[in-house]
Amino acid sequence: MMNKTSLIAIALLVFMGFFPLFVDSAWLAVGTTFLVFSVVALSQDIILGRAGVFHMGHAMFFGLGAYTTAILNVNFGLPILATWAPAVLVPMLVAFVMVAPIIHLRGDYLLVATIGFNIIFIQVLENDIFGLTGGPNGLFGIDVVRVLGFDFSSQTHMYYMAFILLGITLFIMRNLDKSKFGRAMFYIHKDEIAAQSMGINVRYFKLYAFILGAGIAGAAGSMFSVQYSAVSPEAFNVTQSIMFFTIVLVGGSASLPGVLIGTFVMFVLPEMFREFETARYLVFGVAMILTMILRPRGIWPVRFGNIPDFLKKGVK
Amino acid sequence: MDIFLQQMVNGLTIGSLYALVALGYTMVYGVMRLINFAHGDLVAFSAFIGLSVYAQIFGESVTSLIAVITVFVFTAAIVAFVGVLLERLAYRPLRTAPRLSAVVSALGAGLVIQNSVMLIWGPNMKIFPSNLFPATIWEIGGIVITFTQVMILGLSSVLMVGLYFFIHQTKIGTAIRAVAIDQDAAKLMGINVNRIVMIIFIIGSSLGAVAGLFIGTYYRGVTFDMGWMYGLNAFVAAIMGGIGNIPGAMLGGLLLGLFNAMITGYISTQWAETFTFVLLIAILVFRPTGILGETVAEKV
Repeated sequence: MMNKTSLIAIALLVFMGFFPLFVDSAWLAVGTTFLVFSVVALSQDIILGRAGVFHMGHAMFFGLGAYTTAILNVNFGLPILATWAPAVLVPMLVAFVMVAPIIHLRGDYLLVATIGFNIIFIQVLENDIFGLTGGPNGLFGIDVVRVLGFDFSSQTHMYYMAFILLGITLFIMRNLDKSKFGRAMFYIHKDEIAAQSMGINVRYFKLYAFILGAGIAGAAGSMFSVQYSAVSPEAFNVTQSIMFFTIVLVGGSASLPGVLIGTFVMFVLPEMFREFETARYLVFGVAMILTMILRPRGIWPVRFGNIPDFLKKGVK
Repeated sequence: MDIFLQQMVNGLTIGSLYALVALGYTMVYGVMRLINFAHGDLVAFSAFIGLSVYAQIFGESVTSLIAVITVFVFTAAIVAFVGVLLERLAYRPLRTAPRLSAVVSALGAGLVIQNSVMLIWGPNMKIFPSNLFPATIWEIGGIVITFTQVMILGLSSVLMVGLYFFIHQTKIGTAIRAVAIDQDAAKLMGINVNRIVMIIFIIGSSLGAVAGLFIGTYYRGVTFDMGWMYGLNAFVAAIMGGIGNIPGAMLGGLLLGLFNAMITGYISTQWAETFTFVLLIAILVFRPTGILGETVAEKV
């Protein structure tokens, strides 16, 4: 099926694949961070856009992944490769333990509770709990990925690793849309009470979305810590969480191209206008208001109307 | 024991400030179901406006009761105007949009206000004049109470009691409660919903302005980005009490202020915010809609 969207997607993929060949190292770093942030934004979208859970503390899961890799590598000397699994599992576990008792809360109450988790997380990092996190300065000197004597240490290597991570995430998201879990989340978002009365376990699926989103964000966090070879608390504070929250809504929730555009608009555009340092965020705020007024469902809203694709095709 | 009573006085003072700001959040939420994330920045903005009004009208001269009243009234009027403008430009076009779109608009509005303050007054901390209130200090049984604290406690109690009677005894108050329950039904009863929303923003912003001025006179130093911290604490207070509920916001504010003062007085300042949110989450686990929030079944 070659419609306009998939053509754009292929063109973009090719462009992103060859991007490192024609930019300098500063822009390559921006490109890598864009890919990592896209992964985080997509994982935020699973929770916020698909399951419809008001969640404004996603930087915590991102940070948990980053700090898991950093602590295991710097304090315990584990190779980066061995920290990947813990960097995904720790955020998932924390998501389960923290969110399970409060997942039934109504929208705005959950929103402030998730902000609260993020703030607690930052205080734990800054107070250097058990002497592991390095306090406000964070941890330095994180190793690069080494496989069989080969070092993935250059900026270009980082870029392609992030590129592969984004590819895996997009693949998971596509499968999610077509799976039982994706359908359940879609119904919960459309009408929670109706979904419940159809026998969907709302609590279970919301928690499922949270844990899946936390795991993907953790993987992105691990990548982020390797890219900068350092982690510090302010990279994962509530301001960052608000950025991921805004990316999803400005781009278009539950829409893959929307979230990618959102990441571009909220992260890459401000990088381009660095010279207007002082007035930058003033314009940014105005742009956020205008975007929402002109396109309340985001720049690239999700394509399907009230009837999802799988219903039109018939359920297998 | 002295520390306990002293921290209680300090806690009630901070708590009244939180309550004043929390009222702004809760009233807007009650009528529009919107978390007005720009409210905290409006509070910071009002502290700076107050500073400029004071400098413009009175210079560095001695202060009098008239000066103080003028500063408060002028600031409240200007901030109320900005609040109404905010609603007109950023929230009204989104009243029928998905709820989270309005939240993003509010976040954007917060950025605009915060950065305007930074561009107008500069990024450095500004110091409030010390002679706005007399430096009188009372000592009662070992507890120190400053004149500023008495003013904060007195004026915020008057405002809160006044607001409570305004909401429950007057015709406009009744209309506000009607709009909060059901906008469409209120419209059918001949209530001008846009006017009620405007009144809500005037009251909420003026209360926030009073809180902003008190924050300035109490802590002396004001920065352009302080709105986030006070806004978040006040918002947590509103959630604790049950958002949308006016006595709830007052109760939540006082409770949070007392709790904060006790934690910083007895346990630690490093972990103060952690304790705040642990308390919030504990309250929400047992009372999912806050202390005074009603458990209403959602309408289908």
